[in-house]
Amino acid sequence: MKSLTVKTLFDLKKDDLSLKLLSKKQGLKKEITTPELHRPGLAFSGHFDSFHFERIQMLGELEIKFLKSLTPSKRYDAIKEVLTRFNIPCIIISKGLSPSKELIFLADENNIPILQSRLFTVNLQHHLTNFLQDWFAPAKSIHGTLVDVTGIGVLITGQSGIGKSECALALVSRGHRLVADDVIKIKKKEGIIIGEANKKLGHFMEIRGIGLIDIETMFGIRAIRMQKRIEIQVELIPWRRNMDYERIGLKDRFSRIFDVEIPIIYLPVSPGKSIVDIIEVIVMNHMLKVYGYNAAEIFNERLKKEIERKDKIRTYVETDKE
Amino acid sequence: MISKKIVLSNKLGIHVRPASLIANTASNYKSNFVIRKDDMEINGKSVMGIMMLAAGYMTNLELRVDGVDEEELLREIIALIENKFGEE
Repeated sequence: MKSLTVKTLFDLKKDDLSLKLLSKKQGLKKEITTPELHRPGLAFSGHFDSFHFERIQMLGELEIKFLKSLTPSKRYDAIKEVLTRFNIPCIIISKGLSPSKELIFLADENNIPILQSRLFTVNLQHHLTNFLQDWFAPAKSIHGTLVDVTGIGVLITGQSGIGKSECALALVSRGHRLVADDVIKIKKKEGIIIGEANKKLGHFMEIRGIGLIDIETMFGIRAIRMQKRIEIQVELIPWRRNMDYERIGLKDRFSRIFDVEIPIIYLPVSPGKSIVDIIEVIVMNHMLKVYGYNAAEIFNERLKKEIERKDKIRTYVETDKE
Repeated sequence: MISKKIVLSNKLGIHVRPASLIANTASNYKSNFVIRKDDMEINGKSVMGIMMLAAGYMTNLELRVDGVDEEELLREIIALIENKFGEE
């Protein structure tokens, strides 16, 4: 998990969030360890049960007005309780509001940074949370090839040498877009998995027999993509007799990445089988299912009706006494 | 499953030539082969993967092999690395 110092947060987001540092620079060294925010109103009133002190503390109009309503000595005590007893990573104030001098003084004493944003509280909460969730999103590298096939991200996996890169190359030739070959950086974001290319090394591919090729230069900008949501996984497997692969398509199988279920198709590879055509069809089938049309179910309904019809005819003929 | 930590000793690190040497050698074996650098883990049989590590001189790597011929695979890879891939 990447660590995030307040300094990094400030440098990266000061324009987007209109940030100003109100406390001493010392506090910028503090580390933020969780993407959640907390409004410490209750803590300032002396209630410390479930006080999420490890989160960024956001002070809006409510909290600032409450503190203003206290007498100076009560205000000092309330703030002191919160800021000295607990290891708070950062305080952020919205709407360009000015904190009381007690808050700034005690924050500096305890090396807690105070950032001020001109944004309205709701907007600040929204943008800051988005940034933090993205920063702290679980991420890892996986081995596979990610291609955008007519708008659907297809993760192609399988053992080395089975033809993942060659398959992706054929898809690119057909007009689809390569996201990453061999090493895909993935992260979970709001319930979906996003795969990214390695930005520094670009869109290169290794093809056995040729070597390294640069897809962007060879096929152009339309042949690549920086990132794509992974919606389907296709695992290429060596063709073997008596293999239990899908023959009908009524039961969907899923693989799990970071707790997200991704439909998975196991494709047997052998000479003569056009894997690329099949992958295009897999994507089209997926799109039809998403729109509510499931070919296997429709066929099953028609077959059931046909069996019922034949049955009725048989019964009619057998029971005809005339 | 065997795991071994190793430090790179060749001046240019793992550029294209050493990467393809490692990948080609590893591809001859049945065992799975994974190389780890910091928090990045790649498939040691893939040239692209090895190069993505951008591993330079004095980098710490962890080699992990798993399979029927894991010992021979590990031995060959370690030999390649300790030999500095035939370079300086």
